[in-house]
Amino acid sequence: MSIMEYNGGSVIAMVGKNCVAVASDLRLGNQALTVATNFEKVFPITDRIYLGMSGLATDVTTLRETFRYRVNMYTIKEERDIEPEAFAHLVSSTLYERRFGPFFIEPVIAGLSKTSSGAFRPYIAGADLIGCLNFAKDFVVAGTASEKMFGVAEGLWEPDLEPEDLFETISQTLLNSVDRDAYSGWGAIVHVITPEQVITRTLKARMD
Amino acid sequence: MATDGGAYSYSLTVFSPSGKLVQIEHALAAVSQGTTSLGIKASNGIVIATEKKSSSILIDDSMIDKVSVICPNIGIVYSGMGPDFRVLVAKARKSAQAYWKMYGEYPPTKVLTQEIATVMQQATQSGGVRPYGVSLLVAGWDDNRGPSLYQVDPSGSYWAWKASAIGKNMINAKTFLEKRYNDDISLEDAIHTALLTLKEGFEGQMTEKTIEIGVVTVPSPAEIDAEKTAGPNVRPKPTFRKLSEEEVRDYLAL
Amino acid sequence: MVAVPDMDSLVNPQQRQFNPYTENGGTILAIAGADFTVIAGDTRQSEGYSIQTRYAPKVFRLTDKAVLAVNGFAADGNMFVKKVKQRLEWYRHAHAKDMPLRAIARLIQTMLYARRFFPFYVYNILGGIEDDGTGAVYSFDPVGSYERETCRAAGAAQSLVQPFLDNQIYFKNQLAAPGMSHPTHLPLPDVLSIVIDSFTSATERHIEVGDGLEMYVVLAKGRGLGGMEAIGGVQELSERTEGERLFVVRRELKKD
Repeated sequence: MSIMEYNGGSVIAMVGKNCVAVASDLRLGNQALTVATNFEKVFPITDRIYLGMSGLATDVTTLRETFRYRVNMYTIKEERDIEPEAFAHLVSSTLYERRFGPFFIEPVIAGLSKTSSGAFRPYIAGADLIGCLNFAKDFVVAGTASEKMFGVAEGLWEPDLEPEDLFETISQTLLNSVDRDAYSGWGAIVHVITPEQVITRTLKARMD
Repeated sequence: MATDGGAYSYSLTVFSPSGKLVQIEHALAAVSQGTTSLGIKASNGIVIATEKKSSSILIDDSMIDKVSVICPNIGIVYSGMGPDFRVLVAKARKSAQAYWKMYGEYPPTKVLTQEIATVMQQATQSGGVRPYGVSLLVAGWDDNRGPSLYQVDPSGSYWAWKASAIGKNMINAKTFLEKRYNDDISLEDAIHTALLTLKEGFEGQMTEKTIEIGVVTVPSPAEIDAEKTAGPNVRPKPTFRKLSEEEVRDYLAL
Repeated sequence: MVAVPDMDSLVNPQQRQFNPYTENGGTILAIAGADFTVIAGDTRQSEGYSIQTRYAPKVFRLTDKAVLAVNGFAADGNMFVKKVKQRLEWYRHAHAKDMPLRAIARLIQTMLYARRFFPFYVYNILGGIEDDGTGAVYSFDPVGSYERETCRAAGAAQSLVQPFLDNQIYFKNQLAAPGMSHPTHLPLPDVLSIVIDSFTSATERHIEVGDGLEMYVVLAKGRGLGGMEAIGGVQELSERTEGERLFVVRRELKKD
């Protein structure tokens, strides 16, 4: 039994044109038994950064609080919101602190980073359970359906998708992947982050 | 018994009846005996400068560093006790690297200043130690606040300045700076003003051997964006640097 | 010198085991159209992290209307194809005609189940044209369970490709426009693009997939070449043009 598959679940993030999207399924399981179908795995960090975590559910919850604490301390100390680049390093450092007794989660980070002209640049990153960062230019995936998501995303994703097209692409990728994964599914939630707003939608999906 | 602080002058954790911690006042006295240092914030950068005086011509003064780089975007200069300064430089550098390890970037000037100020404050409240006998000028550039100049005193107090001076001639130097300063002074002009201010109270000859200068420059928007998108194998381009002896000589010649 | 027997081997019982199986990577895939079928496979053959060859076919012509793709343990796969071909030749000698596709499917089940306790370590996908002229895909597990489907991926990158096919072929998780319904079969050019996209995606993300792509296209009797003209590098394999026609399309895949 792998601890990474104990509770099941999947998350994914994608880059679009001036926007990013991040999504997760809603299943919480105890191995083959589904315990809850409202377990979100994506959390807001700032107005422009969302963090998704897949893996052991207790660690997802613990780290959500850890990152809330650390980001709040950062915001107060620095009198500014944390930028996606710095947050990704914070996630990496926090995970590496437990190098030899890790948290059993794999994070994905999606955000918009402020450029010196005041415009926003899409930013995504993924990491393994001990914080090795992966700065992808297209998409990052994690969780029990990660292989499937790699395959589907590689087929569906294209550069410079507008927010609505990006929403469709990430939703289809996640939905069709979790439908082939017994440990993921039971609904999904998608966030599309644009410079103006964050669009959050709960998806109707197969419940089996 | 100490001459003026009476019974309160030794234990620095004890207030005098008048509400003073006299050890801190003594530390400030040590600072005001130190050589003059100053900093000027210009429209496109910052200059910090100091006088470097050797007690003997036999000392190899190329070994002495009074302006120190803390991290690629921050430098500091001091007036007061050299050894105390070096301890603070070591702590500040450690703090900057710890910040880099956590966030993948160097600390903003204000955050680093606060870290140093906290260290200095702790020396006013802990047992078995004395306050640091230095005042610092911290100059740096960051993404968030741009160029900024801070002064930190032995008490741990800190302020942001447009221009300030510390050490032996600080009163005169500040008066001089007040007359000379305006908000849209260029970095080049600020360097000359800094040298002129130092000249006011200078004993002996001002040469590239007896002056140290550090400057903060402001990167272009393109450079800032390139820095952010650069991979982890690219070293950040420094925004703080010390002027070489040749550069100092050229400024003195003008 | 007196030879001293190795005490260890005398005192402690020793056991050695020969493992008759290995995995040779690669991926296969088949999609049925209304009157055609595409059966495809990559040509990389590997063992562990070593590439044994960049060209080892996994897709084989059985008759002019039946193509078999085999994936898993290459030695078993090749032997299995050989045995199926032999049985089909016997059938031809006995009946003076090619075996119908559904009969080949049942034959494969029988042959696989015959080895229920020492299986051919192979996943089979059979594609071709049924007697009624429809495109058909039959997929098998190593011991002979099988079903007729519209599409199927198998092998190393099955988990990458199958959900993509669910989406693109079965239109899973997609709603048809109001008053409309999804087509049950796609036209040939669409199917070929989906096959190519599937393999380029699998090549991108799976180390055991790549080098070359072979796509076999079986066209029903009397069907025109509709959709084949635009494709480059087509080679016809069928001997007669009046019956079902069989083509192979070869393409390069990334080699890293």
